Amino acid sequence: MKGYRRHKGRREHFHGTAAIDFYACQSGIRCWNGCFKVISTVLILVMCLALDAPVVSGFIILTMGALNVKGNRVRFKDYLVLLKIPIVFLVLGSLTAAVEISADPLGNWRVSLYGMWLYISKAGIWRAAELFLKTMGAVSAMYFLALSTPAGELAAALQRLHIPRLFTELMHMIYRFIFILTEVQRTMKMAAVSRLGDVDFKTSCTTFGLIGGNLLILSLKKANLYYDAMVSRGYKGEFFFWEEEKNVKAWQVLLLLCYLTALMLLRLAEEI
Amino acid sequence: MKEEILRVQHLTYEYQPGHTAIEDVSLSIGKGEKIAVMGSNGAGKSTLFLNLNGVLQAETGEIYYQGIQIGRKDLGNLRRHVGFVFQDADNQMIASTVEAEVAFGPLNLKLPRQEVDKRIDEALDYMNLQSYRKRPPHYLSGGEKKRVSIADILAMKPEIILFDEPAAALDPFSTEMLQQVLSDLSREEKTLLISTHDVDFAYRWAERILVFDQGKLVADGETLEIFLQDKLLEQAHLKKPEMLKIYEILLKRGLVCEGSYPKDAMELTKCMGGTAYGE
Repeated sequence: MKGYRRHKGRREHFHGTAAIDFYACQSGIRCWNGCFKVISTVLILVMCLALDAPVVSGFIILTMGALNVKGNRVRFKDYLVLLKIPIVFLVLGSLTAAVEISADPLGNWRVSLYGMWLYISKAGIWRAAELFLKTMGAVSAMYFLALSTPAGELAAALQRLHIPRLFTELMHMIYRFIFILTEVQRTMKMAAVSRLGDVDFKTSCTTFGLIGGNLLILSLKKANLYYDAMVSRGYKGEFFFWEEEKNVKAWQVLLLLCYLTALMLLRLAEEI
Repeated sequence: MKEEILRVQHLTYEYQPGHTAIEDVSLSIGKGEKIAVMGSNGAGKSTLFLNLNGVLQAETGEIYYQGIQIGRKDLGNLRRHVGFVFQDADNQMIASTVEAEVAFGPLNLKLPRQEVDKRIDEALDYMNLQSYRKRPPHYLSGGEKKRVSIADILAMKPEIILFDEPAAALDPFSTEMLQQVLSDLSREEKTLLISTHDVDFAYRWAERILVFDQGKLVADGETLEIFLQDKLLEQAHLKKPEMLKIYEILLKRGLVCEGSYPKDAMELTKCMGGTAYGE
């Protein structure tokens, strides 16, 4: 992955989508078949939700985390950063699940609220923790897909899995355009800042509005240019996207089967 | 005259009624010619290219490819044989990796998979891009993007290639590589049309020059013949190439033989009686 090293210095500037895309491109698992990755992820996701056991969820969080760090070559620290946003959401979501309302003073801890009681019980906390682990497991599995498959390959895989062309073509276009528009936005912002466009709050707001408006006009213009460029290369209304042929290897299928079996065994073990 | 490959007759194109971008342009292009298209911004160079490539269709005028008139139904045929490298490579790149990007044209030509693979390989080899093939276009530098945009067109194997200001925003190293590619393509008998503002490049490279001014083709002739017409250069806001100026100064002082017209420093040294650079 020599070619990517040059960009590593810039990595601290990557946020959200850009960081995920960067990792997906340099992932060690990128060479696996896209459809296989989508199907495995869906299966693990379904197992995680259907088996509904904290042990299974914990196991998935740990194994998927290890896979993301080792296989997808995401630095552990960066992986934690990536997990931060879903964790915040899930903590908030789980907390609301733990808190219950009743007319009587129930539960282990409670506050009164205009004649009603907001209370938390031990069972509620346990349920919230279970929910948290389950969703974290699902998030980890989705991260495995997102960090190992660039959006273009994902769209191609989804097309193979009979998702309507309209969606996959849009995915392709949007993926490309996100980077172009963020780049244009970045340069416009720099140009504005260099002319004191952010000197105070009011000016910043005006600048933000102007950039937004410009971005809209520019994207319309760019869309026209793109269309011309595509027509000039023989586009006739239907996208044909080239994809690399990646074969599913027997050991990969075996690995998946072993993994799924392990999940089921864990569930059984818990019941005993 | 070389064998004619493309002919344009009385082509007029208007973006909006009353605003003609090109007006009554007629020209004939021979196979393997190296043509520079010159003129100030908005003179109609890009519009001409878009017409030659079949992206825009003029209301009046005809285009003939190898003697056959191109109607609305044959536009696909024109696009197949005339490739267009856009000025801004970013506006041309559509796919999510370099190899998929290069494959876009061949796939639209409905070529079989094996042939597409072969063409990707050839085009990437040609532009020295093999090590970039899995990379998404947004992780490429300006020069690399330009190379990809040229590989895009090479993979379609057109007879004629139009370059819209290819050297704009390229560093000297990438410009040199571009010139190498251009001379390789000429050796393969490809017909090349390049729109450029760089008179020195045009003087060095082109065999023939088309000069546009306000949508009209004001001059069409051999490179030297064009650059010796001071009045024409002034009208089209073009400068005289530096090498030609130097030659004229040296000629006045009797330091070079008349009619030698050197194209670069190496040729100049030879004209001045030296055998190699600097002697």
